[in-house]
Amino acid sequence: MADPALEIDRIAKRYADVVAVDGLTFEVRAGELFGFVGRNGAGKTTTMRITLGVLAPDAGVVRWLGVPLTFEARRRIGYMPEERGLYPKMHVAEQLAYLGELHGMTGAEARNAALGWLDRFGLADRRDAELQALSLGNQQRVQLAAALVFGPDVLVLDEPFAGLDPVAVDVMAGVLRERADAGVPVIFSSHELELVERLCDRVGIVERGRMVACGTVDELRAGGQQRRWIDVPGAPGDWDAGVPGVRLVRTDGSRRLFELDGGVDDQVLLQAALATGPVRAFERVEPSLGDLFRTVIGEAGA
Amino acid sequence: MNARSFGLGGARHLPTIVLVARREVRMRLRSRVFVGGTIVMTVLVVVGIVAASLLAGRTTPVRIGFSGGSQALERSFTATAAALGANVTVSDIADITAGEAQVTAGTLDVLVTGSATAPTAVAKAAIPSNVESALSLAAEAARLSDAGLSPAVVTSAMALVPVRLLQPPNPRNTESVFASLALGILLWIALGQYGNMVAQGVVEEKATRIMEILLATIRPSRLLAGKVLGIGLVGLLQLTIVGAAALFAVQVTSVAAIPALGVASILGDILWFLLGFLLYATAYSAVASLVSRQEEVQSAVAPISILQIAGYLLMYVTLANPTSPLVIVCSMLPPFAPILMAVRIAASDVPSWQVGLAVAFIVASIGGLTWLAGRMYSNAALHLGTRVRFMDAFRG
Repeated sequence: MADPALEIDRIAKRYADVVAVDGLTFEVRAGELFGFVGRNGAGKTTTMRITLGVLAPDAGVVRWLGVPLTFEARRRIGYMPEERGLYPKMHVAEQLAYLGELHGMTGAEARNAALGWLDRFGLADRRDAELQALSLGNQQRVQLAAALVFGPDVLVLDEPFAGLDPVAVDVMAGVLRERADAGVPVIFSSHELELVERLCDRVGIVERGRMVACGTVDELRAGGQQRRWIDVPGAPGDWDAGVPGVRLVRTDGSRRLFELDGGVDDQVLLQAALATGPVRAFERVEPSLGDLFRTVIGEAGA
Repeated sequence: MNARSFGLGGARHLPTIVLVARREVRMRLRSRVFVGGTIVMTVLVVVGIVAASLLAGRTTPVRIGFSGGSQALERSFTATAAALGANVTVSDIADITAGEAQVTAGTLDVLVTGSATAPTAVAKAAIPSNVESALSLAAEAARLSDAGLSPAVVTSAMALVPVRLLQPPNPRNTESVFASLALGILLWIALGQYGNMVAQGVVEEKATRIMEILLATIRPSRLLAGKVLGIGLVGLLQLTIVGAAALFAVQVTSVAAIPALGVASILGDILWFLLGFLLYATAYSAVASLVSRQEEVQSAVAPISILQIAGYLLMYVTLANPTSPLVIVCSMLPPFAPILMAVRIAASDVPSWQVGLAVAFIVASIGGLTWLAGRMYSNAALHLGTRVRFMDAFRG
């Protein structure tokens, strides 16, 4: 496995009497798309701000390629903050070029990069428009272009998909995948769990400032509950009452969905079903990231 | 993936302060406020100078033409007229009839005919008394020379009586007061306008939330320095345009005799603008960094605005009584010096130690305020939403 490119090591931050981040630790490897999920106020934005150095942590350190992030290294991170913001009265291409130059490009490089990204996002004809003249969705595209324009070595994006139409979501997902494939570690937060599941190599679930689960979706599934559909048409209503570690989720006619605690052998459930009569179906159900999320958050919040 | 790409060297990369300043200049020059403001200020200044030249019409030189033998008097007449305080221009007139026609038409004020020892002055309706005296004295000297006295004896015999005034009148006159007032108002407007522009610019980045992106790539102190530099350059450009128009108008309208409108004075005023701008820009940026919305800017900068209004009122006190101790002390205090010193210098003579002290105080204040503003701005830059308290921003 590759060495971690970006390490978030036990960072902590509290505001007055609220603990925002509490010893949070994770890492993102080169070429990896990392999905950062959690409820509102769980600490995602604070973590990203600390990573970008716009907020100082009370404790902990962020490392890049094994050494603590310096200001110069931070300048190479592409950032899309939760609070969107660009100059409303500045022309779109001029604005992107300005940000490119601030990140160390020459004037010509910055202009070319700005026009390239505008072209990519289908905004080539709006390059001389003031930002405020664009629709909110298009402003969001410009915001992403602002994070990408200088060819960053790391991408940190806070809710990049919020407010985008399906076409724009596809374009943005394609861009993020492409950057990751080019070797750039990409972290983004999102509440669209299906999208995260589909797109990300690894997922981190954060709750109350702590990382409560982190890994590939399959790894998260392996550690959590499993579900089985069983169809036993002739069974009495309470046939499953005596099976340990098994909980009925819902009933659909003669079909029943069970949730098994971690480590419970599903064959015990099947035996119990067979004991009541013929079993028409016994089906393994992969929990979605949404299911895993609710389970993990439920445990952490308990 | 390696650390190579973190290198940021290369001569073609402009320093971030320059980039920020360049953006400010571009955006401001593009705005209607700048274009309109420059036009309005230029028109006001030129109209003011033309009005001053009309008011100062009586300083227009008296045009005197000499014909025939009287032309020998031109040199001694000019010297004597200058000694008597008469402003004259002298020309040769070949033909007496044509000369009289010029006097009648008003293109010549006085025609001198006859010989050097017996000249006759021809005027339309009246002749200024000092011109008449100078002409009489010049003719008298010519007659004494004609009688055989040496030039040296004539000069000493004709010497004017020296006058010693125990209480000389103030050199100020109406035009000078008028010009000083106009100048003070212009400086006051420019300082207020550009100070507020800095305040608005500081809040702009918090209000539009671009601050978070900017601070991920640029240090707050450089962002602030670039902003103040850029807006200052725009202000300087505007004042230079207005100043150049003023100088042009001065040359064309012959009001250069008014001390407040001389070249040195106008350059000095631009210097006072720079000092005042740096002082007020740093002060404005410090307080503006405490708020996050444009609506809150006015209340945040109120303490500074009150100081500026006090300076405006003191300007009238200065014009009415330039030697009062209150005016002398206030004109050396940094918040008032840029306007009061400029007005005092325009209106009267100011001891150089007072000017030096005022400059020293204001430069020291700019240094201290820059430190304070940089600290407050850095600490408050990412504090969005509620207003930051002064001490919190100071402590960080």
